Amino acid sequence: MTTAPLDKAIPLGRLRLGHSAVFWLGFCAVTVLLIAAPLVLPEFWRRFLTEVLIWGLLAMSSDLLIGYTGMISFGHSAFFGLGMYGAAGALLMVSPPNLWLAILLGLAGAAGAALFVAFFSTRLRDIYFAITTLIFSQIFYVIIFTWTAVTGGENGLIFTRPHLTIPLLYNARFTSTTLHWFVLAVVAGSYLILHRITQSPFGMVLQSIRENESRTRAIGYAVERYKMMSVMLSGLFAGLAGVLYAIQNEFAAPDFVYFLTSGDTVIYNVLGGIGTLVGPIVGAGFFQLARQLLAQAFGDQFPYLIPLGLVFIATIIFLPQGILGFARRWLNR
Amino acid sequence: MSAAASLDARSPVTDRGAASAPILKTELLSVRFGGLSALSEVNFEVARDKVHAIIGPNGAGKSTFFNCLTGVLRPSGGRIVFDGEEITGLRSNEISQRGIARSYQITNILPNATVFENVRIAAQSRRHGWNMFAHHSALADINRKAEAALDAVGLLGKAEELAANLSHGEQRNLEIGIALATEPKLLCLDEPTAGMSQAETDATKELIKRIAENLTILIVEHDMQVVMELCDRITVLNYGSILAEGSPAEIRENPRVLEVYLKT
Repeated sequence: MTTAPLDKAIPLGRLRLGHSAVFWLGFCAVTVLLIAAPLVLPEFWRRFLTEVLIWGLLAMSSDLLIGYTGMISFGHSAFFGLGMYGAAGALLMVSPPNLWLAILLGLAGAAGAALFVAFFSTRLRDIYFAITTLIFSQIFYVIIFTWTAVTGGENGLIFTRPHLTIPLLYNARFTSTTLHWFVLAVVAGSYLILHRITQSPFGMVLQSIRENESRTRAIGYAVERYKMMSVMLSGLFAGLAGVLYAIQNEFAAPDFVYFLTSGDTVIYNVLGGIGTLVGPIVGAGFFQLARQLLAQAFGDQFPYLIPLGLVFIATIIFLPQGILGFARRWLNR
Repeated sequence: MSAAASLDARSPVTDRGAASAPILKTELLSVRFGGLSALSEVNFEVARDKVHAIIGPNGAGKSTFFNCLTGVLRPSGGRIVFDGEEITGLRSNEISQRGIARSYQITNILPNATVFENVRIAAQSRRHGWNMFAHHSALADINRKAEAALDAVGLLGKAEELAANLSHGEQRNLEIGIALATEPKLLCLDEPTAGMSQAETDATKELIKRIAENLTILIVEHDMQVVMELCDRITVLNYGSILAEGSPAEIRENPRVLEVYLKT
């Protein structure tokens, strides 16, 4: 294999409308499985699966930057965290807590952070971009950690989960099953939107920037503006993941704004296969499952990052296109 | 002339008047890299619908000149006027949008994209770049433009190949196809036949001749046979200044050009 790590399994432009039958068949099959899952899984694994979907959404959002625009972000914890705290703010300030307001305020928080990061960091490339996003996310972390009066500081914020309301139609407490379905609906919808964006004329410009930035500029694209939009979109979906996480766990904590969350996000991408959108979800599932099984086998104190780190290194060496890229090649054989 | 023009602003006479103005003009264009003067006070004009060549020994400033025209370099002094508007110091994407396209001396394509996508992405840069909702392959007008550009450079049969898998000569022609797909008013070709075999060079020469039928072309080229056959006008650069300018026949006879360039 001579492919560089950023290469995709399918070359740019070869994906045509004709693939859509296979695409929708696969999408529907996986969605049906995920809808049915909470009906058969025990409570613990039901929660676990919901959480994997949320991490998957976070990973997928960063794939838009890493896999499609070729910019590695180490700052997604900031967007995730702002989404989380935005939702927390809405749920604590308005009574009774409103689900849709939480989503709206969470997205606004993430968009604010993304605008700030996008404006300053998209002038830089490669490692300089990565470092800048890392620094900005740490700035947000320090602000949240120290501004105790508003954010609860180290203790974070605790609130109660809003009802699942669909105006005029439905209003009931979330159960773990309806929460799973709600999260699934948001994640599947986000996937479809992101998938369409990556295949749109705009998405092709992002991939062209990834492949050859100066050439993309020379054929008339204002590269910085496209990069800014990419960061903004990516940040919005990361913020949405933060909102979902806050709703599932009924708290917002500064730990999630810390850069380790961003690092995990990059790991999900590399494990699953960047530039595929689905791959990062698979990567998140693999990572979380491995962690959970290791904890169950060897206890909570087991340093699970050591074996997972070895798996990560092995993936980079032997499966540079990640689990999904490998599976795809194996299926095509 | 101007009196006639003011009587009827839409008269064909005014149109012809505008058409006879140079499409590109530089005034006292200078570029300095530290103490080195790569271009010094170059006054230069390209006439509409002509093929104009820039020749000169290595280091004469030809590529620097191209980089100035296309916004890769900011000139240290002077002005560039394109189609009646000053474009000095604009960025390369803005200059592309004004209608100057270029190909590169060192092949500069999207190797991991198909040949078709390479030109399609260039074709969509005029108006569809921010469309996030359509499928990229569903834009019929763009597909047609992309196909026309590929057809013009003879690569329509290889549309679905990966650009990386093309031969060197084909990649050089793809370069021209990408530039054409942006529908430029002025096409700048930087050594389009560099590294080509004689057969490929001949084919590319014919290709440029065809394109030149309805496009102004500015070309940097080392192959004298290509230059003499294709061009209406030649400018000779040496040490960042214009040494001579004229028709191919005049340049061939010019003793100073013979001394610094053609004889060596």
